[in-house]
This record gives sequence, C-alpha cells and structure tokens, in this order.
Amino acid sequence: MVDPVNTPLGRMLLDEITPVVMVLRTNLVEETCQKNGLSLIQMLSPFCAFDNIDVPVRTASDQPYRLQKFKLRLFYASDIRQPDVEVAKERVKEVITHAGEENFSNLCSDPPQIETVLTTSQSELIPSWFPFFNKELVRTVSFSDHEAFDHPVACLLVVSSKDEEPINRFVDLFNSDQLPSLLSDGAMDPKILKYYLLLHDNQDGTSEKTTKFLTEMRSTFGSNDCGLLCVNSSQDGLVEHQENPWALYRTESSPNHRLGCFLNIDDMDELQNVMQDLSSKHIIPHMEQKIRVLNQQVSATRRGFRNQIKNLWWRKGKEDTPDTQNGPMYTFSSIESQIRVLGDYAFMLRDYELALSNYRLLSTDYKIDKVWKRYAGVQEMMGLTYFMLDQSSKDAEYCMENAFNTYLAQKANILSVMNGLDEQEVEGGLCEEDVKLGSSGQRIATRCGLWWVEMLKTRDQFKEAATVYFRISGEEPLHSAVMLEQASYCYLFAKPPMLRKYGFHLVLSGDLYKKCDQMKHAIRTYRGALTVFKGTKWSHIRDHVHFHIGKWYAFLGMFDVAINHILEVLACGHQSKTTQELFLRDFFQIVQKTGKTFEVSMLQLPVIDIPSLKVVFEDHRTYASSEAVGVKESLWRSLEEDIMPSLPTIRSNWLEPRAKLLSKKLKESNVCVAGEAIKVEIGFKNPLQIPISISSVSLICEHSARSDEIEVDPNSTTTENQNDDQFRKLATSGECSSEMSSFTVSEVDISLGGGETLLAQLTVTPRLEGTLKIVGVRWKLSGSVAGFFDFNSDLVKKKVAKKRRKTTQPTTDNLEFLVIKTLPKLEGCIRHLPKTVYAGDLRHLDLVLRNPFETSVKSIKMKINHPRFLSIGNQEVMDMEFPACLEKMNSAESDARVKTNSTSDTVFLFPEDALIHGETPFVWPLWLRAATHGNISLYITIYYEMGDTSTVMRYRVLRMHYNLEVLPSLDLSFQISHCPSRLQEFLVRMDVVNRTSSKSFQVHQLSSVGNKWEISLLQPIDSIFPSELLLAGQALSCFFKLKNGRNSVIDKDEDSSISTLEGSDIRLSCSSNEPLFDIYRSPLVDFHHYERVHQGTAQVDYFLAISFENPNTVDFILISRPQRSEGDSEQPNNLFSHHALLRIQAQYGG
Amino acid sequence: MIVCVAVVGHQNNPLYIQSFTEADDALKLHHIVHCSLDVVDERVNNPKKSGPTLNETFLGLLYPTENYKVYGYLTNTKVKFILVTTDLDVRDADVRNFFRRFHSAYVDAVSNPFHVPGKKITSRTFAERVSNIVKSFGLSSTG
Repeated sequence: MVDPVNTPLGRMLLDEITPVVMVLRTNLVEETCQKNGLSLIQMLSPFCAFDNIDVPVRTASDQPYRLQKFKLRLFYASDIRQPDVEVAKERVKEVITHAGEENFSNLCSDPPQIETVLTTSQSELIPSWFPFFNKELVRTVSFSDHEAFDHPVACLLVVSSKDEEPINRFVDLFNSDQLPSLLSDGAMDPKILKYYLLLHDNQDGTSEKTTKFLTEMRSTFGSNDCGLLCVNSSQDGLVEHQENPWALYRTESSPNHRLGCFLNIDDMDELQNVMQDLSSKHIIPHMEQKIRVLNQQVSATRRGFRNQIKNLWWRKGKEDTPDTQNGPMYTFSSIESQIRVLGDYAFMLRDYELALSNYRLLSTDYKIDKVWKRYAGVQEMMGLTYFMLDQSSKDAEYCMENAFNTYLAQKANILSVMNGLDEQEVEGGLCEEDVKLGSSGQRIATRCGLWWVEMLKTRDQFKEAATVYFRISGEEPLHSAVMLEQASYCYLFAKPPMLRKYGFHLVLSGDLYKKCDQMKHAIRTYRGALTVFKGTKWSHIRDHVHFHIGKWYAFLGMFDVAINHILEVLACGHQSKTTQELFLRDFFQIVQKTGKTFEVSMLQLPVIDIPSLKVVFEDHRTYASSEAVGVKESLWRSLEEDIMPSLPTIRSNWLEPRAKLLSKKLKESNVCVAGEAIKVEIGFKNPLQIPISISSVSLICEHSARSDEIEVDPNSTTTENQNDDQFRKLATSGECSSEMSSFTVSEVDISLGGGETLLAQLTVTPRLEGTLKIVGVRWKLSGSVAGFFDFNSDLVKKKVAKKRRKTTQPTTDNLEFLVIKTLPKLEGCIRHLPKTVYAGDLRHLDLVLRNPFETSVKSIKMKINHPRFLSIGNQEVMDMEFPACLEKMNSAESDARVKTNSTSDTVFLFPEDALIHGETPFVWPLWLRAATHGNISLYITIYYEMGDTSTVMRYRVLRMHYNLEVLPSLDLSFQISHCPSRLQEFLVRMDVVNRTSSKSFQVHQLSSVGNKWEISLLQPIDSIFPSELLLAGQALSCFFKLKNGRNSVIDKDEDSSISTLEGSDIRLSCSSNEPLFDIYRSPLVDFHHYERVHQGTAQVDYFLAISFENPNTVDFILISRPQRSEGDSEQPNNLFSHHALLRIQAQYGG
Repeated sequence: MIVCVAVVGHQNNPLYIQSFTEADDALKLHHIVHCSLDVVDERVNNPKKSGPTLNETFLGLLYPTENYKVYGYLTNTKVKFILVTTDLDVRDADVRNFFRRFHSAYVDAVSNPFHVPGKKITSRTFAERVSNIVKSFGLSSTG
C-alpha cells in the first residue's frame, strides 16, 4: 500500500491539520503589502509550506526524528473564530457557480459513450473543482472549540517601521480587544508563543531608523523573538515572476494586476528565511517543548493504575452535578483539554503513536462525560491517526463511522430537545441557537464524512465511499448535489462499475442542482446520466432525462441543443397522455422561442411507415383509376399478352432513335412521362394519444437534366458520399425547387388523431425531360417544425426493395425515374356502369375515351377479361334506343344479325380510322350482362399507339378496372321429360323463382335457340300466370311442349296468335302488343355464345364435344323485364336475360 | 405494502413494471428498480459472498433505500424479479412465497404462444394475477 502521507487524504491532512499562527499587524504594514496587491498573509503564505525543512525533533520519550514537511497556517486574529454560516455558504455557492461557468463550454457536444466513460481515468472524469469545493466545505467548520488543532500555536505580531513608536504598537496589538474568543473565553491558554516582526519597506529609504527600532525591540522582547523583514526592494515595480507564488490570489476583478510586482528575488529570499526561521527555530521547538510538558502532566494525573481508579471514582462523582446543555465546559487548564492539545500537537508533529494514545485516553473520558461532540471529535482524530499510522484499516473506519454517527446523532438530539422546548413555548432565541448548533453538527459531520470518504477511496472501497457521500448529503440542497455527484463517480469507479447507480445518483444530483438554480451543473450531471440510459430500454427514465436536459438548455437560451434533446422524447407513445401533452407543449414553446421554423431530419413525429411506401407511376402502362393500380401486374400481363407487341420488339422499336443513349438508363430506372404525375403513397403514424396536425406534406425530389446524369453515372460513389449533405440541401431548399419548374410537387395537409395511421397521397409531376429522383418526404409539424425523411437511408432501401412491385428490372432504387417527352395519354371510363346489378341484367353502357393531347393515337385495341359480362357493341347501336333495338323486326333485318361479331378471339380492334385527339371524347357502346351473381372484377385493357412515331415510347396501354356486385334475381330451372305419346316431343317444365328481396319481374318471353326446336305453351299464359308480375320470393311453374322442329316443320302451333316464323319464341306476358325480342341480335346472341363457352369450359369433358347443333341439347333464353315502380323513372330501360343450356336425356339414341 | 413489482429481462431490459401506489412516482420506482439491477449483478458475479445459497433463486434484500426495501429474485433464464415494499419488517418467508407465486404467474404468461420472448409482457391476465398476489402479500403472516 502507498505511504498514507502520499495519498490524497494524507496530503489533505498535512495541509489542513497544521499549526495555526495568529497574525496581528498594524495598518501601515498592510499598506506596504498592498503595494504588491497582496495582504500580509497572502504575501507570507507561499513561504509557509516547507517541503524540506529538516528539523530535528524528539518525541516525548526522547526518540529523535526529523521533520521534513511542515506547514503553517496564518490567520488574522479577527478570522480566528468560527466562520459565519451564511458567509461560508455564500462562498461555497460561489465556488460552485464559478465551476459551473468554467466547465460549461464543452457541454454542447454530444455526451460520450459509456465505453469511453469507463476507460477514462479518474482524474479526467471527475471535475477538478471537487477537491477545492471539499476543502472549502471543511473550512466552514474550522476553529471549533471542541478540537485543538485549529487553536493558534503562536502569534506573529508585525509592525511597520513607519509606525510611530513601534514598541508600543507591539504591546497594543496584543492587548487590544480584537483577540479571538478562544483566547478570551478560556478555551485555550492565553499565554502563547509570540514573535515580533518589524516590516521595513525599502522604498521608504534607508533602514537606519529600522535598525534602531530592531535593537529596541530586541531589548524589550528578547533578542530571539524578534525579526526584521525588508520588502519592496524593487523600485519600479516591474518584477515579473516566472512562477508567481501568489497566482492563487489573483482575483477576477483585476486579473492583470501583477501580484508581488515590487518583490524582487532578494525579498523573496528574505520572506522565505523569516518564515523558515519562525517555523524551525520557534514554532516547532515550542510545540516539542509543550508536548513534553503536557505529557508529563498527563502521565502524572492520568496514567497508571492509581490514577485510573481515581479517575473512575472522580468521574462518577461528577455525574451527580447536572450537565449544562453542551456538556461541561472544559477550560484550557482542565486535564481533558490538555490531553486534547497534547494529542493534536503530537499529530501535527507527526508523532502519531503519542497522539493515538492520548486520543484513546480522552475518548473514554468524554464518553463517560457524555459530551458527544468532543467525543466525536476525538474519535475522528483517532480514525485519522490510525490512517496515518497505516495500521488497522478496520479501526480507522470504525472510528470514522463512530464519529460521523455521533456528530449526526448530536444534531438529532438537539433537534429533539428543540422540539421539546417548542412545546413549552420557550422564547425563540434559544431555539435559534440550538438550530445553529444542530446545523454545525451537520457540517462537522460533513467534514468528518469527507475524510472518511477519502480514506475509503484510498483503499479502493468506492462503493462504501459512495454510501458515505450519500449520507453526507444533508438538508443543504446545493451541498447535497455536489455530494451526490461525487457519490455517482464513486459508483462509476467501483469494481465492477455500478453504472445504474452512477446514473441514478447523477439524476438525483442534477435535480438538486436544478433546485438551486445551478442550471449548468444540472445539465452536466444529466448529460452524464444520459450516457448510461441512452442505449437501454428504460424509456421512462431516458425520456425524463432527455426532456429535462432539453428544457434546461432552452432555459439557458441554447435552443438548438435543447430541441435536439426534446426531439428524442417526442415519439413517446409509451408515456401517459398528460406527459405526452407536456412534452409536446414544451417542445413547441421552445421552437417558438427560436423564432424560426426549425428543421429536423428524421423527425420522429409522425412516424413514417416505410413498408407502406408505394410508388405509382405510368410509363407505357397507364391507369384509368386508382383501383386499376391496385391490381396485380401479372393479371394485367396475362390480359395484355395478345395485344401487346412482344418485349424484344418493343425495345428495338422504341429505342431506335436514341438506342445507345437510353438503353442503359432504361434498364436501370423506371420511365415516366413529363407532365404525368408520379404518385407516392406513404403512411404517417401518430404514436401519441393526442392528435397532431401536419401540414405541407410533400415529396423531396431531385431533377437533373439527362446529360448530367450520364456523366455522374460511372462514378456514382462520389454521389454516395455527398448523400447526406445533398439531402440536407435538397430538403432545405425544398421551397425554391418547386419554383424551378422542372417538377412540381403536391402539398397535403393531414391531421392525425391519437394512434392513427393515415396514408398520404403525394404526387410529383416532372415538367422536363431528364432524371427525377424521389429523395424523401418533408412535412411541417404544427406549422412550426419542419421534418424530413430520407428514403435513401439504408433501412429504407432494404424495405423498398422488398416492396417493389412494378418494375421488371431487379434494381434497388425504384425511386429514380427517367423522364421522357410528353406523350398522348388516353383517359377512359365507362359511363353508366352501376355498382350493383341483378343477375341477368342486360344493359347498354358507353365506353368513353379521351385524349387531351393534340397528337392522335391510333391502332386502338381492347380486351376484356370477362366477355361473359361485358361485350363490345357495334358503332350503330350508339344511336338506337334500348331495348327497342332488340325488338323483332321484319326479315329484312335478318342479315344484320348474321354479321354479328362472333369471333372467339376476345381482342377487339377498333376501326382503323378511330384517331382520338383533342377534347372530343370517343364513345363506343358496351353491353353489360350480369351473367351470374357474386362479386365480379372487370378488367379492361386498351392498347393504343402513338400517332407520332418519333417518340421514345411507341404504344401505351390503358388499364381499367371495375368491381361489380351482382345480386341473385330469377332462379331458372327446367325439367325435360319425354312426351309419353310422341317420340319427337318433350314436356318441359320451367320453374322460375324470384330470389330478390324486393324487386318484381315481368316475365316477357322464353325463346329456344336454334331453329331445330319448336316450343309452345301447354296452357295459355293467362290461365297459369294472370298477374304477370313475379313478386319477390314468388315462384312460377309453366309447362311447355318442345318439338323437334326438323321433323315436324309443318306441325301447327297451339297458340295461333304467335308468329310462327321460327316457332321458338313464346310470349309469356299477357299484353300481346309488346313486341318480342330477337335473340339473334347482337348483344343477346353474343352473350349466349359466351354463356356456351363458359359452360363448355366448366364441363369440359362433356360439352366440349357438343357442337352448336347437337341434337340432344336445347338452349333457352328467358327474357324478363323489371317492374317499373313509379318512384324511379330514371331507371334505365333494361332487360333481364337468363340463359339455360340443357341436355335432353336421349331415350332413344345412343 | 408492496409499491412496485417488476420483471426485468436477461439483458436488463424492463419487461413488466407495475406500481401499486396512488402517487405519481413511476419515475422514482423505475429508478429504484433500475438501480437494484446493479446489486443483482453484484450478487450474481460475486457468489462467494453468498456461498451456501449458490443455487438459490431468491436473492434476498438487495438494498434498503430511505423508505423502501428492495428484494430480488433471479430465475434460471436470468430474468429478474424485483419487489419494492414499504414494509420495514418483512418476513423472508413471505417474500419467498411471493416470488414463488410470481414466478409461476410469469411462467404462465410467457408460455403463451403469442408472447414474444424478450418483449414486454402485456397480458392482462398476468397483470390481474400479479395484482392478486400483491394484494395477498403478507396476509398469511398477519391473518
């Protein structure tokens, strides 16, 4: 173990427990010294510490040893008293404030990582002002009457040679009333060693008079006890000291004042000599002498068996006398005081063995006397002596703890006594005094604790030291703050380090600092705590720390740092609602104070939901509606297979003009067309429970002309490096970039309720050709804080890559677009398409295509995924009335139906001459027939080519998507049985059930398809179905006769009123004036065809083989009309057709 | 009275922390629980001090603060349970008993297939069970 003298505590003790010299001086002396900007004590002090004084001393038992280190403490007589509590407090506070200011400059940087904190050495980490503060704190309890080491050992009387009658002055000085109370009230021996010093100012000329005075002094006070000190030898006052010994006394008010400017090297030597002389020739021998004398006295009265017995008896007797409040008063002549002085002197002369034995003796005495303060004082000294002896560390600690507890208990005692007194309503004066005593107990305990802590630290018992620090922290919040902070460092240096306690104590300390308005210290401690809590999941604590640091920085006007800290806690979804409100409110207050809109990259509020990022853009694929966008690309691809030119040919086609230039870029990036918006969908999530409003949400984009991009491309690494800066620049210059008109971005305002997530639709529309890159998104929180989010951060890239859905090339950054020249773009919609229809509903719709550009498009092709539901009509139908156009006409029309489009190919080619441009819409008829009930998705894709072949993109595709809900309407079923009597005739039973909930139908006609079959009613319709209307839920059954027409063409019909042109239509309505519908006309026959195709595909194995004219099948079409209610006359004139494809059980055949 | 119970994961991340006081002292209790982890670490890393109780899950009194007593318990998966109480004379047996019941409640909670290991315990059943255990704490000795 290290020599205790060289430990911090050892050095501290050698500094603090040293002989005190009381200094008395005249005003003229002080004047002389002030020329140097110093007081007398300040001038002498640097020469009072001796590292190598080498004085031979003998112990009480005549053991010789040599003192090497020695120090004197000089005090003016007026200062030798217990310092005023308030003044002391003020001074300590000053020390702290000053330290706060000094250490604050480096607090704006980021707090260090915990790993670096752990590897930093103690001295670097612990603020350097702690020892200084501790010393100040120890000094607040000096000159207590319960201990003797602060009692002056000697008195230094200084008179100037300019003084009138110096001899008398010397006498007056000592006899004045200014002497400390210690001397006057009998606590110490008034007969102390005196040393008379005559101060001569060399600037005042010759020392003749001075020499005369000196001789006079010598004759009066004895030649040994007198000295002469000549100072201010330098005439011009320009002496520069290389290492100014007085640097310590430099005051803030005059930092440039040259201290000791009149003191040249000779003066310094003289000062040194005088002080060394005083120490070695007077003070040390005097103390040695005194130790000897006292030791003899103590031995005579206290040591030995006889004395002990006597002491016991005597002490016992003493118990009967009532104790005063503070125990018996011990005058200097009492044996107890003498033992104490003996011990302290021995301690100061480093005869620790002697000191210890005396302290031991004394401590039992005081214990018996129950004078606890003195007892504690002795215990304290015993602890220190044990430490200096480097003997039993256990004893030392026990003594320190005992002393500490006794001091504190004494305080508690007084407080309890005081409380008792309070009840008896004793006048306040006494109480106040007691309180003072109590708090002095606390302060002495503090000093004792500080020594104890140092002792523990020396032995690396940091954990225990921390506990002691914690116990020292008393009522005084400022002191406690410093103590707690010191405790925290102890936890940090403990092995292994107790980081959590470190953090906790820093937080405690910070709170106390804050309470005392020591903002800067508070920030410092909290920042220290932050290093502990930063990486952890203890968000409750971390938020608290961040928030308070932020608030305090704001208090100091450092808004930038403040906001950075508060930003950390903004997304505090785990906190209570009130806390969230508090955080947010304070944040906005701080932002407001900055007076500008604050810009933050990666603002946590709201949270950007990256997986929800969806980019929609249109290259050759364009979309009619947002629903169309949501459809899977593969679905469209399969639909477009037939109508699009195959891929390789596209390339060669539309790359032809600039193949070299574009090929590379096209492969790598997405293509979009100038003037067409790129839509970005991104989710904003509010993690808080309180609503927030965000405004001006827009995309951050970067546009570059094409030529630049190609140059940048090969060395893309350079752009990577600049990425952050660039983003920053882009984000901040967001406002002006939109004015550059190379692209325009949309702005959206959204407000998010608590915990809500909203998808924001953002668009950017490029205006010029080149490359457009979507870099990020920008928004304003509550109109005051601008947030940015960079899509290019690593995290995003990963997720976007997963999310990619549109591009064929496996590139990662699909946020980059190649912008090409404006192209025509078709817009299309289907007019009158209902959302909900009943099954069998047949209606006429219009497909409207529009091309807002002047350049025309041509070669338009269309394909529909469900031709069973939607079929393309003829141009002529446009002008016709529906359903009148389906009515049966005379036979002249018959060739029209032959022409009907019965191509199995579902691609529809619009006429070659159909060029769409300008504002005139292009309208084309469509037929809708709800074939079956259920939810149907209709996909329509329209292919078109550019009229202008020089464009990069030669063709485009318009994709349309509609959802249709089909409700069940009439349920149709047939039963066919052989007519028992005739071979070629069949009985058909038709059951119709109305499945709707409210709709009524008027059954209009039943037709069999093909001219093979003849159908007739068994009974007239009036008799079986007089009401005509099939109400909701109602069922109807009819019987028919079915005849194979081929065999009996000339068979006469039962119902003569029906035209027997084909013999295949039966009117089922009573009013005979309504015309029948021609099932061979365009939409009906087409839909019937698709119905057959559908059935065929549904029952492949059987029906595929059956031709249209298969003799064993019969197809029926039931046409009905909805009943028109009076209310909605708007309802379109529509028909319902229900198709049934039946197979007749071949009784006779195969 | 028990003021706070906590479950702390093996990486010293809070899994469950619940206070049973009216006052708004969540932060303080968080600090106390957090600090007591230091002591747990110390106990675990210096088994020589607690020689005979080497395989003991119950860590005993971690540290007395001014107003509280903090007890700890360490499961074999290094999950820590912390108990903060204001009772100044607590019987060891009571605390042991408490931790035993608490442990089984915890095991049941994390056995839930929907519980993600290492994430906070959000089960309401667990919370209810814990509050029942807390309520019944110490009753056996007094009643």
